[in-house]
Order: sequence, then structure tokens, then C-alpha cells
Amino acid sequence: MNREMIKSKKTDDTCVHVKHSSGLDIYVTEMKGFSSVEALFGTKYGSINTMFRQKGDADYTRVPEGIAHFLEHKLFENEDCDVFELYAKTGASGNAFTSFDKTCYIFSCTKDNYKESLKILLDFVQKPYFTQQTVDKEQGIIGQEIQMTNDNPYWRVFFNMLRCMYHEHPVKIDIAGTKESIAQIDADLLYKCYHTFYNLNNMALSIAGDISADDVLAICDEYLNDCEDKGLETIFPVEPDSIVQSEFREIQPVGTSIFNIGYKCRACDGEERLRKATAAAVAASLITDASSEMYQRLLKEGTINSSFDYEIFTGDGYFCVIFSGESEDSVKVRDSIAAETKRLINEGIPEKDFQRIKKSAYGALIRELNNVEAVANNVINSHMDGVGPFDAIEVLSELTNPDVAEFMKNELIKDRLVMSVVEKEAE
Amino acid sequence: MQYKRTEIADGIGFSSVIDEKFKTCSLTVRFITKLDKATAAANSLAISQLSAVNSRYGTIAAMNEKLSSLYGASLSSSVSKRGDVQLLAVGASWITDKYTIGGENISREMLEILRDCIFSPRIENGEFDAETFAITKKDLLDRIEAEINNKRGYAIAKASEIAYKGEPAANSCYGTDETASPVTSAQAFEAYRKLLETACAEIYFVAPEDDKSVAEMFAESFGALDRKPQPVTYRTPSPAKSEPETASEEYNVRQAKMVMTFKTSSEDKEALKMMSLIFGETPVSKLFMNVREKLSLCYYCACRTYFPKGALMVDSGVERDNIDKAREEILRQLDDMKNGSFTDSDIEAAVLAVTNGLTAIGDTPSSYAGWYFECFCNDELITPQQQAERYRAVTRDRIIEAAKSLSLDSIYLMLNKEAE
Repeated sequence: MNREMIKSKKTDDTCVHVKHSSGLDIYVTEMKGFSSVEALFGTKYGSINTMFRQKGDADYTRVPEGIAHFLEHKLFENEDCDVFELYAKTGASGNAFTSFDKTCYIFSCTKDNYKESLKILLDFVQKPYFTQQTVDKEQGIIGQEIQMTNDNPYWRVFFNMLRCMYHEHPVKIDIAGTKESIAQIDADLLYKCYHTFYNLNNMALSIAGDISADDVLAICDEYLNDCEDKGLETIFPVEPDSIVQSEFREIQPVGTSIFNIGYKCRACDGEERLRKATAAAVAASLITDASSEMYQRLLKEGTINSSFDYEIFTGDGYFCVIFSGESEDSVKVRDSIAAETKRLINEGIPEKDFQRIKKSAYGALIRELNNVEAVANNVINSHMDGVGPFDAIEVLSELTNPDVAEFMKNELIKDRLVMSVVEKEAE
Repeated sequence: MQYKRTEIADGIGFSSVIDEKFKTCSLTVRFITKLDKATAAANSLAISQLSAVNSRYGTIAAMNEKLSSLYGASLSSSVSKRGDVQLLAVGASWITDKYTIGGENISREMLEILRDCIFSPRIENGEFDAETFAITKKDLLDRIEAEINNKRGYAIAKASEIAYKGEPAANSCYGTDETASPVTSAQAFEAYRKLLETACAEIYFVAPEDDKSVAEMFAESFGALDRKPQPVTYRTPSPAKSEPETASEEYNVRQAKMVMTFKTSSEDKEALKMMSLIFGETPVSKLFMNVREKLSLCYYCACRTYFPKGALMVDSGVERDNIDKAREEILRQLDDMKNGSFTDSDIEAAVLAVTNGLTAIGDTPSSYAGWYFECFCNDELITPQQQAERYRAVTRDRIIEAAKSLSLDSIYLMLNKEAE
């Protein structure tokens, strides 16, 4: 068991990392003075992992869309009881989420009872129990969840944009799947996915709060079952750099029309992805900067409102810069974004603006260290992305103006700009 | 942690919460006034104008440039309601000077910016400047229009309109399209002036180190005003309708929403909360275990209490065809509560769940401000731990009485259009 103390050079914050003999990566962030404890036990398994094989398998297995999310729901049922009933005895608030590239089981509780809650978390995630009867029951609940998200215009506009960008990559499929795809799921398939992805070598635990790393590790020693690394391989279809279509519109009962406008960028991994995402965030901040001429012009003429914002969306095999907001003239917003991008590339980024935006990004990272939940989440996300817990702040401090300019020139390409709009119904 | 509240001017409270674990400072000024359909929109517009610009940074561009140079310090406004009261807050938050790269003193700058936002806004010809006002007004109108984008929140807002019909709480805290559209810059400025003169305010400063100059700054600024504060009533229970009312609307949605409002005249706040927890606030509650898990009718079916209005709401997302089934099951589960069909383990789980939430108060600056504001509204300063003890002291009989006190007031249905 290797134990290391990871320290941020900028803030002196620390985190204990252990590569446990079971195969699990464990991160404990001791945060003195906080009352709550946040824990995430996660696997690198999300909605995009639809094709995989293990050492010795001749062929890849392809599974129905939405199965990672379905599995997340079903893991909350043990053979003899519901996991929530166990948490009810400690008072912990338990939950879980499935994203594109990970599934995490979470609890938050008081520092006085985190040990019992941690035992419950480690235990149930390692004990799957699926029957056809319980699988059938879940179809109705998840069916309602799918209906609910289909009524969410922000969800619709986002996925419509991804479908404009990606030809093959499964990032374009809905995390929960469809009513039809989840109907193909049975208990055997769930076990197959579970035993493939819920191998501790593919998982991590992040826990933060006013806790002791020694106590956490003692519980891990007791509750973790050794896992053989089975050489999991996930593959994605070959995704071209080009987009599928430049525009998609849908009508929904919304009060204001909303848009997602995104540049499809080339994907990468690990530290390279962090550096690229950091440069992308500064570039997008410059484009959406409320003090810029473009922003002020669009705001004053009523084309945008204060909801205009950006997001850097990355993972295994996908990377895009997304601009979102409300507008009745999204074409003008898109054309303005493209023009502003071109202007910044041609004229260069004023050093004063670059330094200002960089300071602002630095402030945002400091703020996240103020919050137990944010810290626990950031630590597991960093691990899943193949970087260290405090690398983001280091990478940001090393970022230069030419790095951002180069990113814009190489990645914010007009031919790879797509627009998705959810328009309001005609009155 | 050190907490201290002082009355720094007529109707103005200043609370400082000093907790060394934080890396940020936050300062919020929360104006408290009656929620009134006639003034809600003008008040909302006034408060959003205050956080957009001030006399020194007179454009949104200039203010944004300054804030981003101060390590992305935030300046924001928010509008909400608590019972029949409208809450209008202007707040700022920034990283402490210790964490700046160049050792800059950003705290002083942010205090001055916030002070100027409130006491020295940008004014042109005796009203808010027209250009910024037009932008913030469009923002508010868009926000009102966009409420339907969040179907669950929209359904709850519509349910409140029906449940509290004729009472201030029936109104949106932002105003409506009809009431906000005609508001002029001069009217919003008058609303601002009136807020300074008549509204009570609670100020919260949450930081790792004390700074007495903050309270002094506000004492001086508010002290210079000629104030005639008008007190508000923080609790105004809403009477139950003699016959339950059902209202429905059709939309182009896939999933229907049902919000059931129950009313109570019970004064036993802790028992009502315990009843609500067992009934439908947790994943082991009766609604979750039966309506969702056993019958697979909903992805969510949950309840919450609104003690200031003496109400409890159950909201759910459900297939249109299953609405009757879901309603019957919800009422059956409530009957079980009234009949005492819950175990000591259910009570213990509720105590632990609510204690878990209370213990987390103090882990974020906003949770401190929220807790002490609730204490102020309830006119009783207690700790979260003392509150947890009160929940623990609630007996089974009190929970049954709380359940029995509930009567169905109204049902709001957001329906998907049926195929023709």
C-alpha cells in the first residue's frame, strides 16, 4: 500500500492518496473545522462506455444505451434491504449520479457518524443484487425520469447540440437511454457490466471533511475486497474532426428561446486535457467577457441577457467549448461569437485582459477549496481525468497568453461551430 | 466561530459570523418588506439595478472589469419570498487578501464597492440611468418568461397562486410580465428610495477574521438616512379552503405534474417537520417507498413544509393516466400518518436526517446567513444543535396530531395534451 501526501504549492492545502492493496485509489482530504463529511465512491463507467472487453475476451461486448445509469439505480437494493434504510440509521444523506464517463455513489453526513456511513457505502457498492423482478420495477421509475428530462429544455438543447457535433461517439446518447433501450436490460446484462466496471482497479474513493486519514484507511482495510486487475479496455468508434450538421432547432413550451452554440475541438487525455481545458476556459471567458465590446453590443440591443455563459465539456474522446443563453436571435449570437473569436485570433489577446481573466479563474479555484462537497468532487474528478487534485491551480498559474492564442487558432474553427436552439411555441 | 448581532440603525441589524476556516469573505444586505403585487416588480428592478452598477463603476462593462480584476469577486442580487414577505438582497463575496497572488487588499475595495452600490447608485436626472435600467428590465422580463422552462418549479409556483389566493404569498416575488413591463426607471428609483426609508434590513458579514469597520461603515451610511421602518409579519398562516379546489392547465409536455397543498393551523413547528420527514422528505419516507418504489408511479414524489404559511406541499411528476392512482396513494399514506402507522425507527431516522442537515450549517457562508436570518424571523436565537434537540423531543403523539391537523386545500395539475 503506497501512501503519499499531495500538497498544493499555492494554497498549502493537502490530500492523502493511497493506492490500496485491493486496487482502489483512495483520497482523503482532511479539512479542519468543517462539520459535514462528503464521500464519493466512483467507477470510471458512464453512459459513453457502451463497448468494452476484458483480458482474454476475443470480442468487444456492446450494451444497450442507458445501462450504466440503470445499474446505478439498481445497486441501491441489497439482497435483504434497501440501502437507504441503512443510511437512515446513520442519518447520512445518500445519493448517486451517472454522468457521461463516471458513476459515483455519494453520502454526506456529520463528522460524528461518517465511519458507519462509510462502511455502508463501501459494502453496498461491492454487493450487487439484481433479479428480473427488481429490474422490471425500475423500468417504470426510470421511464418517468426519462420523461422528466425530455421536458427539460436545457437538457434537450444540450443533447441536440451534441448530436450536431458527434457522428459516432456515444456522448451524443442520453445518459438514461430511451424507453426502448432500457427495455433490453436484464439482470444478466447488469451483472456483466457490474463485474467489468466495478472492479476496484477501475474505481476511486474520495472523502473530505474534518476526518482522519488513518481512520478512513482502517475502514477501507476492513471492507475492501481484493480485486484482480482484469485489463479492462473500453473503445469508442472513430470520430472524425468534422461536425454532423451546423444547426438544429426544436420547438418546446419555453418562455424564452434558448441556445447552445459550440465549437467541436479535438479530444485528448490526462494532463494535456487539463492544459487544453484551462486554455479553453480562459478563451471562452474572453469571448463571453461582460466588459467586451461584443458582449456590450449584444446586451444593449437586447440580443442576449445576463444568462449568456460558457462551459468547457470534456471527457474520453470528446472536447467542446459551449456558449449558452437565451435569445430570440441566436443566429446573430453565433455569428458574433465566430467574429469575436476571429478578431481575438487576428489581433491577439490584450495582456491586461488575459491577466484579469486569469485572476478571476484563480479566484474561482480558491473558492472551491472553501467547500467540503466541492473538494471531494474535484478530487475524484481529477483522479478520473488522470491528473492530481491540485494540478488545476498549478496549470492555471503556468498558463500564458500565447497558450490561449494557440488554442483559439487551432481549435476554435468556424467549420466546427454548431448551434442548437429550443424555440418557444408560436403564440 | 463567533456570532454577534447588533442593531446599527433603526430597523437595521448587522450580524458578523467569524469563522477562521473560510478562505472567502461574504457580505449580504437583505431588505425585508411586505410582498405586494403593486410593488414587487419595481422592488425587484431596483435591487437588480443596485448590483449592476454604482456611481463609481457606472456601466456593466466597467463593473465587470473591476470585479474580474479582484480575482473574480462576485456582486449579485436576489429576490425571494418568505410567507407574505419579499426579501431583496444585494451581496458580494471575494477571496480573502491572504490568497491573492500579489498580496492585494481586495477586501477594502469590495466593501467600498458594495457600499456605493447601495448608497451611491448611478443616477441620471433623478432616476436610474436609462441604459442599465433597460438591460436589467429585459433580464427580469426574460426571467419571468423563463419560469416555465423549469416545469417542476413552475408547477409549484402555480400551486402557490391557488393555495394562497387573495394573500400576498400568492404573488410572484419578481412580479409578473404585466406588472413589470410598465415600470419606469423613475419608478424603480422611487422604489429604491422607499426601501431605504421603510424596509427593515439584516446584514450578514461572514469572514475568517473580524473587521469592525464593516459594521461602522453601514452604521454611518444607514444612520445618515431619515428612516421610518415598517415592520413586517413573518408568519401568516393561510386558512384552508372549505372545499378543496382543483385547477389544471394543459401544456405540450411529456410528463404531467401534480402539486397537492395541505393546510394546518398547528403551531407545533417541530412536530410538523417531523411528520413531513416521515411522510415524504427522505428516501425512506412513505411517499418515496410507496408511490415511487412500490408502485413505480413517479421518479419524484416528495413533500415540504412552509411553516410561515401553515402549509405542506406534495409534488410529483407522473403520467397523466396515473394521476388518480398517485393522488389516492398519497392520501392513503397521509391517512397512515394520521392513524399512527409509522414505527419508532421511522421517528429515529427522521431525527437523524434532520440533524444531519442542521449539522452542516456553518460549512458554507450562505448557510450561516440563512440560519441566523431564520432565527431573526422567528425572534429566537438558538443554535442548530438546540434545534436538533427540539426535534428529538417530539413524541409520536405530537406527530400524529400534526398529521391530523392537515387538510387538503388545493391541487394543481400540469397536464400533457392528450393525443387527438
